[in-house]
Amino acid sequence: MSNFFTLLSASHVAQGIIVGAVLAFLTAQVIMNAVVKAMTTTVNGWSTTVKAGQPGNGILVRAACARILPAVNVVQEAAYWTATEDSAGRALSGRHEYVLHFPAGQLPPNEAFWSLTMTDVVGYMTPNPIARYSVGSRSGLAPNADGSIDIYIQRTPPAGHESNWLPAPSGNFKLMLRAYLPGRAVLDGAYHVPPVKRVR
Amino acid sequence: MNRLILKYGYPITFVILAILAWVVYRIFSAGGSGVIGFVVLAAVVWGVGTVVFLYLWPTFAYSAYKRAILQHGPGGPIPVNTLYATPNRVSAGASNASLLATGVDDLLYVGGWLDLANGPLVLHVPEMAGRYYSVQFTDPSDGTDFAYVGTRTTGTAAGEYLISGPSWKGTVPQGMAQITSPNKSVLVIGRVFVESDSDLPTAYGLAKQIRLTPLSH
Repeated sequence: MSNFFTLLSASHVAQGIIVGAVLAFLTAQVIMNAVVKAMTTTVNGWSTTVKAGQPGNGILVRAACARILPAVNVVQEAAYWTATEDSAGRALSGRHEYVLHFPAGQLPPNEAFWSLTMTDVVGYMTPNPIARYSVGSRSGLAPNADGSIDIYIQRTPPAGHESNWLPAPSGNFKLMLRAYLPGRAVLDGAYHVPPVKRVR
Repeated sequence: MNRLILKYGYPITFVILAILAWVVYRIFSAGGSGVIGFVVLAAVVWGVGTVVFLYLWPTFAYSAYKRAILQHGPGGPIPVNTLYATPNRVSAGASNASLLATGVDDLLYVGGWLDLANGPLVLHVPEMAGRYYSVQFTDPSDGTDFAYVGTRTTGTAAGEYLISGPSWKGTVPQGMAQITSPNKSVLVIGRVFVESDSDLPTAYGLAKQIRLTPLSH
């Protein structure tokens, strides 16, 4: 072992390899982050990609997908959108209250189910008093008179709208919207998730 | 671990770069003929290494899944060529222990790691009666989801599917569709929809029936 360290300190060869390898590792990270950015489209604060798991991805795209979306479905099976900012580009936080307004007929098109999940900024679910971690097609959302649907994203229950409440944690958070067996409009890129508007 | 890397990624990177800068400074201040060799070698390793890291990144990422499945698992290690169904949906309490996914509470997960070197396997799926489900087959060398069994691709009727490795040449039994894997290692992830807490026992019963057996001769 001590021979190893002697070699390291004395040998420019060993040091060259180590320095080169570390720089290579960091450069690969920077490149993968850039590819992630390039393959992600963001509309109304919601980010999504259609590349995950697809056959024929090049070296860069498959590395980037393995970094941020390993084992994720192809988009034909499930579409995923994440948001960490509101419609004005401010970080989503439990200190504020938000409404996600789906106009009539504008819920995420799907042939299986859709769901909107609350997580912390890393992606883990956060505890809340009513143990509700998502709302969606199976949660009995109450529509407005015009057929639109409002989802109330906040820490405290919205009076009179408890069925449409997605409880938020105290700190910053991330929203994930998923549509399983997404409809043609999603695959075509024609469907856009509405913005998350801060109301208080 | 991921959490720590996300949280401290920038400080860690800074410390690493500072150490490197110190090493390079020591070499240059020592001077001599070794400096050029050092610079050339470091540059070559940097360039080649970057490509190698990118090329192997899916393999690194999926080997973590392999380890997690075969050595730890959500309820103990999952033996190779078998599938494990999670009995409960993900909740906040289970977040740190969750293996396959986070932020999903309308699905039960089924997972396993295949080694097709010793011959093909048969995937059995029960009658799902219109329930949404999928079984995803992922090549761990490049992350391609090369095949699906499930509502979208094969429907929700009961069935048997032969999963064979890239070099297998045999006769596919009558009534089975063949799925040829490009790699002898395969990551399998199944997803079964759960409507509600009262639906959970039914969904779990179905998820447990998604299973693998060796091809009997």
